[in-house]
Amino acid sequence: MPPEDRRDPARSPSTGPDSAILSGPGSAILSGPDSPILSVQDLHVTFRRPRRPDAYALRGVDLTIGRGEIAGLVGESGSGKSVLASCVLGLLPEHPAPVVTGRVLVKGVDMLTSPETRRRAVRRLDLGSVFQDPMSSLDPTMRVGRQVVEAAGSAEEAVRLLTAAGIPDAESRMRVYPHELSGGLRQRVMIAMAVAGNPALIVADEPTTALDVTVQAQILRLLRRLRDDFGCSVLLITHDLGVASQVCDRLVVLYGGRLAETGPTTPMLSEPRHPYTASLLRSRISLTSDVARPLPTMPGEPPRPTRPLPGCAFAPRCDLRTDDCEKAPPEPRPVPGEPGRLSACLRLDELAERPAEPGSASWPPNAVSGRGPLLTLRNVHQRFRVRGQGRHVRLSALSGVDLTVEAGESVAIVGESGSGKSTLLRAVAGLTPVSSGAIELGGDARPQIVFQDAGASLTPWLSVATLLGERLSRLRLSKAETRRHIARTLTLVGLGDDVLHAKPGALSGGQRQRVAMARAIIDPPELLLCDEPTSALDASRAAGVLNQIGELRRELGMTVLFVTHDLGAARVVADRIAVMYLGRVVEIGPADAVVGSPAHPYTQALVSAIPEPGRAIAAPAGEAPDPLRPPSGCRFRTRCPAARAECASRAPAPVRLDAGHLVDCLLYEERTTAGSAAS
Amino acid sequence: MTAILTSTRASGRLAGGLSRLNGGLVAVAVITLLAVLGPLVAPHTATEAAGVPFTPPGASALFGTDDVGHDVFSRVLYGLRLSWLSALAVVGVGMLIGLVAGVLAGLGPRWLDELLMRITDGFLAMPGALVAIAVVAAIGPSLEHTLIGVSVVWWPYYARIVRGEVRAIRSRPHVEAARLSGIGRLRVATHHVLPGTWSSLVVAASLDLGYVVLTLAGLSFLGLGAPPPAPELGAMATQGLSSILTAWWIPVFPGIGVAVLTFAANLSGDRLQAQSGRI
Repeated sequence: MPPEDRRDPARSPSTGPDSAILSGPGSAILSGPDSPILSVQDLHVTFRRPRRPDAYALRGVDLTIGRGEIAGLVGESGSGKSVLASCVLGLLPEHPAPVVTGRVLVKGVDMLTSPETRRRAVRRLDLGSVFQDPMSSLDPTMRVGRQVVEAAGSAEEAVRLLTAAGIPDAESRMRVYPHELSGGLRQRVMIAMAVAGNPALIVADEPTTALDVTVQAQILRLLRRLRDDFGCSVLLITHDLGVASQVCDRLVVLYGGRLAETGPTTPMLSEPRHPYTASLLRSRISLTSDVARPLPTMPGEPPRPTRPLPGCAFAPRCDLRTDDCEKAPPEPRPVPGEPGRLSACLRLDELAERPAEPGSASWPPNAVSGRGPLLTLRNVHQRFRVRGQGRHVRLSALSGVDLTVEAGESVAIVGESGSGKSTLLRAVAGLTPVSSGAIELGGDARPQIVFQDAGASLTPWLSVATLLGERLSRLRLSKAETRRHIARTLTLVGLGDDVLHAKPGALSGGQRQRVAMARAIIDPPELLLCDEPTSALDASRAAGVLNQIGELRRELGMTVLFVTHDLGAARVVADRIAVMYLGRVVEIGPADAVVGSPAHPYTQALVSAIPEPGRAIAAPAGEAPDPLRPPSGCRFRTRCPAARAECASRAPAPVRLDAGHLVDCLLYEERTTAGSAAS
Repeated sequence: MTAILTSTRASGRLAGGLSRLNGGLVAVAVITLLAVLGPLVAPHTATEAAGVPFTPPGASALFGTDDVGHDVFSRVLYGLRLSWLSALAVVGVGMLIGLVAGVLAGLGPRWLDELLMRITDGFLAMPGALVAIAVVAAIGPSLEHTLIGVSVVWWPYYARIVRGEVRAIRSRPHVEAARLSGIGRLRVATHHVLPGTWSSLVVAASLDLGYVVLTLAGLSFLGLGAPPPAPELGAMATQGLSSILTAWWIPVFPGIGVAVLTFAANLSGDRLQAQSGRI
């Protein structure tokens, strides 16, 4: 093992000046030079499982977090980041039995070998934790107040913490149960509990992944503020470089259970010194991705913990690999001239002066055919009877949606949870009949749908060949023709014949996604519906799926209706974007116009809440109101910075801005009427 | 979850090989083999006079002979065959009817669901053995009638299980996806829903086998099974009971036969259940 001080900038006296770079504002008081809050040394974790191969989750990781520092632990699924979090909390699962070597020190206490009472004391006094799903971490049978008081010690302190965590009217929220709170408020409760007792370190494992983007922006700001106010360090675990870029002083990128690269956030994101970080950044779908050509993707599959490679785990996917890369795992080395940065790449020097890669060939021109509309929605309403507060109430999921989709066009519907976007898709698919209004599908278009969870949409006991073949039965093909057709479709989605007899359970996540896609297009539908097909995928995979949709729709002339919460993804796949809020389309227009110059205050809020490296996020106040009691007039007015008295009394009608760019907002209504009066 | 079971278990069995076999499954296999091959193994038929009546177990007759000189060993073998195959038949018929009724209830219109479930409620509300006795008493005692009687009370359990599974599977995305992909309703039911119910059904059925064996033996014991001198284990135990003090082997060996069948069936059922619970 290399000498410790080389890897441990906070400890090394020679790196004194960079700790100012490493940590952001508020940390000046805190950077104790010789006592890191968390120190992980050469940590290996292997899970031994009966009758299955061993899983090598962590294979030698070193990590240090100084006082008041926010460190981002970034990696795709399977990189070992959550196992590392469990080790820090001293909560590794006992089954399957892990074999652990190395040290995890929290304020000097070894969380791996100390007796449980000692570790518990550390967890109580020095650690706080926030997980992805607050509902499963909160006790559903206990009022929020009691749970926070348990952590905080007294009711006054609990109210103080809830207020500090940004919960309005904290005193009355103490009396509610967790299920009565929105996802964002629940996460704030978790954070309030995590900071109770002034812990030295908060471990936040994907704290915003389950939240809407506007709420995510609020929570990220909150994390940063807590560090500034309370002075605690944060280990933020995330798969999203954008999220990490917003709050972290320093990034730690894991790949295949090892450190790939670490360093201060800004230089690392502007000039990555490990090919994995570089391609993670390249394949990230952002608001500035080049949509004229297929998105850059990472070739190959992520490494499998069960089959560790002898050399660099990234070598099979790396275009810089040499024979040396495959012999032994490269040790993290300091990046010359950049204090505090380490990279585990043998060729990190060459990485700096690499020319930008030539982009791939651009997409062929789009095929909006002028065949007329394929799908028309007229004043569609969807109401559900739901049980609310002990009695049945009507939930209005869609309240008057108008939408026309031309044949050959790709339209994205963007909205946060509760906007009605999935309800709309299900109505178009014919899965649920609408309450009123009309949905007209041109021709004999029978839509096919690609679901968010592709794996769950494949019948687990049927083979890929059966799943694909049964859709061809209406064509009455011969056996040989059916086989040929299946093989052709598999090639189209980038799969080989080897998956033909596999059942979905034996396939990887990416393969399942492709099979689901293959099933949808084997008998090409005129209309392809996509329900958040990328939201459960890592960045590198999501880009591949979006490329595939782009390619297939051009090749097969399909019309696409794409539902997503991600404006970036929408911009990539769609010609037009419709933004929904609480059951209504509030803005619709050409994709570039909606993202580039959003008109509706809500769209503006959405765009500015998206975490992108090198850009500060802004979050609108509050959360979407209860869909059972939508606000009168304009539904966004309760969160709108530009709301006026008139907005409460009158619902805005669509106003035309440019060709095809419509917005439902009184601000613009006025402008156009003023304009027409003048002329 | 159960959906994954069938496939995982099938492949797991191939992969795990013999390591997964246990006493219960081996016993069930041996018993089924004995039931099928019984007549070839048995030294005598069930109803021929094989020796002097009341011969104790020994070299000439392994389990002794009964009051009319039948070979008890042969009769127990034939009895195993009769009881085991009858139990399999009852469970098989019950599963078949239960499967159809359960799928109809789970996938069909609401009124059909209500109707079928109220019928099963009716059956489940009454003690099964009593209903079976009533049925057999009404149509007269014979082996076939006993099987019919027991099958009548058995299917509602399976219908309930299948309906529950079907309703759980029906709301899963893969069924929705199958419906949307434009394949027929029947095929969705048979290919995308039904196989998912299989593992719970098999577990329930294998746990039930022992109970069916007991019920059938009990009915024979009451004189409602196959009439004498048919080699029914339950009937043999009753009739031998009067001579238990003088010739213990006549009732005891058939009794042990029933115990072994029940035990083996339960062991294998437990094993299957544990496997499906673990995955």
